[in-house]
Amino acid sequence: MTQAVSLEYVLIVAAALFCIGLFGALARRNLISMLMGIELMLNAVNINLVAFWRYLEPSYVTGQVFVLFIIAVAAAEAAVGLAMVIAVYRSRTTLQADEVDSLKG
Amino acid sequence: MTLFLQHAWLIPSLPLVSFLLISCTPLRRKHIQAAWLAIALIAISALWAIGLLVAVASQVVQRPGEPSGFAFAEPALIQRFDWLPTGSSTMQMGFYIDPIVAVMLAMVTITSSAIHLFSLGYMAGHPRQARFFSFISLFSAAMLLMTLADNLLLFFMAWEIMGLCSYLLIGFLYTRPQAAQAALKAFITTRIGDVLMLLGMVYLYTLAGSLAFGYRQGEIFAPDFLQQIGTETNRLGLSHATTIALLLFGGTIGKSAQFPLHVWLPDAMEGPTPVSALIHAATMVAAGVFLVGRTYPIFLADGGTALAWVTFIGALTAIVGASIAVAQFDIKRILAYSTISQLGFMVAALGIGGWMAAMFHLLTHAFFKALLFLGSGSIIHAMETVPAIHRIHHHDEYAAQQSAQDIRNMGGLRSRMPWTFWCYTMGYLALIGIVPFSGFWSKDEILTDAFVHQHWLSYAILSAAALLTAFYMTRQWRATFFGAFRGDKPRVVTASESESHMHEHEGAHAESDPAPQRWPEDWRMIAPLVLLASFAVTAGAFNLPFAGGHWLSDLLGQEHASFNLLVAAIALILAGIGVWLGWSYATAFSDAHSSDPLEVRAPSLFQSLNQRLYVDQFYRASIVRLAHSLATLWRWIDTRIFDRTLDGLGDLTLRFAHVNASIDDRVLNDGSDALANGTVASGDLIRRSETGKIHDYLAMIFAGVVILGVIYLYLF
Repeated sequence: MTQAVSLEYVLIVAAALFCIGLFGALARRNLISMLMGIELMLNAVNINLVAFWRYLEPSYVTGQVFVLFIIAVAAAEAAVGLAMVIAVYRSRTTLQADEVDSLKG
Repeated sequence: MTLFLQHAWLIPSLPLVSFLLISCTPLRRKHIQAAWLAIALIAISALWAIGLLVAVASQVVQRPGEPSGFAFAEPALIQRFDWLPTGSSTMQMGFYIDPIVAVMLAMVTITSSAIHLFSLGYMAGHPRQARFFSFISLFSAAMLLMTLADNLLLFFMAWEIMGLCSYLLIGFLYTRPQAAQAALKAFITTRIGDVLMLLGMVYLYTLAGSLAFGYRQGEIFAPDFLQQIGTETNRLGLSHATTIALLLFGGTIGKSAQFPLHVWLPDAMEGPTPVSALIHAATMVAAGVFLVGRTYPIFLADGGTALAWVTFIGALTAIVGASIAVAQFDIKRILAYSTISQLGFMVAALGIGGWMAAMFHLLTHAFFKALLFLGSGSIIHAMETVPAIHRIHHHDEYAAQQSAQDIRNMGGLRSRMPWTFWCYTMGYLALIGIVPFSGFWSKDEILTDAFVHQHWLSYAILSAAALLTAFYMTRQWRATFFGAFRGDKPRVVTASESESHMHEHEGAHAESDPAPQRWPEDWRMIAPLVLLASFAVTAGAFNLPFAGGHWLSDLLGQEHASFNLLVAAIALILAGIGVWLGWSYATAFSDAHSSDPLEVRAPSLFQSLNQRLYVDQFYRASIVRLAHSLATLWRWIDTRIFDRTLDGLGDLTLRFAHVNASIDDRVLNDGSDALANGTVASGDLIRRSETGKIHDYLAMIFAGVVILGVIYLYLF
C-alpha cells in the first residue's frame, strides 16, 4: 500500500480541503453555506486522522475510533446548527450572517 | 436704751435697704416717693444713732492709760461672727462700738439726713433724681458700716464702697465731660492711697495674724504686740510700726486730700452740691482722719517717727490749701480748698498727739462745712435762675453753671436770701473761729495742744493758716452777700478758666441796691440749713475747756483739755486781722468784670495761686505723660508685633489652604476623572473588535489558533 500515494500528498489534500472549508465558513454570507464549510473542515480533519492512522500506526485502532467519534459529533453538531439556523430565521427572517449582529458593541 | 445698742446693725442697714429698694424696684421711676423713702430711712437711722449714743454715754468705762499715755475707752459692744475659715483659725467680721464710734454715727446720720432733705429741693426736676437718692443712701450705708467695722478689712471694704459712690456721684451729671473726668480723677487718685493702705494692712496682718480692733490678746492693739512692732526693725531700717503707720497714712493722704494727692477734691466740685456737702466736706474726707484716729495706738507705738511725718504733711496741707483758696473765684472751690486746709488741721493735730482735739474738730467741721456747702448750693440754685445767667445756658451749659458759681457775679444776696445769709454766716463764723461758735473751741484746742507741747513750727504754720482762713472766707462772704448785685451783667466764665481781659468799670456805683426783691427760698433747702446752723453754733458746747464742760472728752475717755488764755487771745486777734483784711479787700468788687486787688498788686503770685500752684499741670506733665507713653508703647507692641504676627500666621494658613485646594482639585479630582475617562476610552477602543458578526469572530479564532500553533511548534 505504501507505493500508491505518500503521506504528504494525503495531508496536502486534507489541508486543501480544510482551507476550502475555512474559506467557505469565512466568506459565505449564508448561514447554511457556513455550516457546509464547517462540515468540510471537520471532514478534512477526518482525512488527516485516517491518513495518520493508515500510514503510521495501522494496527492501532484508536485512529478509526476517533474518526467515528468525529463523524458522530459532526452529525450532531450539524443537527444542532441547523436547528439554530431555523431559530434565527424565525426571529430575524434572514439567513445572512452579516445581519445577525445584535451582539455588536 | 440698750435696745439701740443691741440692734446697732440697723443703722447701716436702713440706708442700704433704701438703696436696694430704689435701685431694684419700680420705685426708681417714682422720684418723689423714692426721695421720701430715702429721707425717712436715714432719719430713722439718725434717731437710732442718737439713741445708741445715749446708751453708750451712760456706760462709759475709761481704760487705764497705756505706756504711750493714750488709750481708747472700753468698747460698749463687740459683736462678731465667723466669716472666713483661714486654715486653723477663722476670720471674723462684726461691729465694734466704742464712744468715738457712737459720736461719729450720730454725726454722720444727722448730717446725711439733712443733706437728703436738701437734695429733695436741690435736685427737684432732675430726670434721674431717684438714682441720686439711691446713691447717697448707699454712700451713707457704707460710711456707717465703715464706722462700725470691727476690723481693718471690713473698714477697707466699706472705704472702697465709699470711693465707688464718690465716683458715681461726682459723675452724676455724666453728660458733661468735665464731670466724667473729675469722677475718674477722684477715683484714681484715691486709689493710689488705697493701694498703700492695703499694703499696710497686709503687713499688719502678717505680723499680727489678725486685723481686729481691740486691746485683747490677738487683736492689733494688744500691748505686747505693739511693743514688739515698735522695737523690731525691718529691712528698710524703720520699725514695723512706722512702716505700717505710714502705709496706712497713705490711705488717708488719698482719701482726705492731703498734700500730694489733694488734686481730686477741687475737681470733685463738678458734682452736684449735696454731693460736695455730704462726701467731700463732712463724711468721706473725714474717713481718712478717722482711720488714723481708729488705729492711733499703732502710730504711737514707734516713738514718734510716723507722727512726725503725719504732722508735716498735715501742716503743709493746711497752709497750701489756705493759700490757694485766697486766689479762687468759684464759691465751691473756695470751700473745697478750705476743706483741704481744715483736714490738714485735723491731720496735723493727730500728728502732734492731740487725738481728742482732732476728733472734736472733725465733728464741728462736719457740721459747719456741710452747712457752708449747702448754703452755697442754695445760692447757686438761685443764681442759675437769674435771667442774664440763664441766657448763657443756651450757648454753653458749662459756662452758665460756672458763671452762676462765680463770686464776682454775686453780691447783695443778704437782702435777697435772708435765711441763707444768716445760716451761712453762722457757718462762716464757726469756720474762722470766732467765740462762741463751735469752730473756735475746736480750733483753739488744736492750737493749744501745739502751743503747750511746744511744737512751735506747727503752731506757727497752723496759726498762719487760720489767718488765711479768716481772710479768704471774709472775702468770699463779703463778695457774695454784700454790695450791689452784679449778676445782671455777669462775667461769663468759660471752661478754659483764663482771664481774658480787664474791664474798666464805668461810672459810679452804689453800695446798696435800690429795692432788692426777695428771691424764693425752698423750705426743703432752708430747713437743713437751719438744723446744721444750730449745730454750728452750739456744738462747741460738746467739749468746752472749762470745768463742767468736757462732755466729749469724758465720753471718749480722754483727759480734759485746759483753756489757755494766751493762745485763745492770739487766735482771736489773728482771726480779726484776717477779717479786716478780707473786708477791706472785697470793696474792690464793684462789678463783675473788675479784677481782684491782689491780682493787680502781685500778679505772678496771684496767678500761681489761681492755677493751684501748678500741681495739676505737674502731674499731667509727669505721671500722666508717663502713663500715656506706656500705653502708647503697649499699643505699638500690640499693633506692630502681635497683630502682624497673627496676620502673618493667618496669611500663611491661607496660602497653605490654597495649595491644598489646588492639589485637591488637580490631582485628586482631575486625576481620578482622567483615570476614569481613560478606562472608558480604552473600553471603547476594545469594543470595536466586537462587531457582532460571526465571520469576524471566526476569523479571530482562526488567527489565534495559527498563532498558538506557531508558538507551540517553533518556539517550544
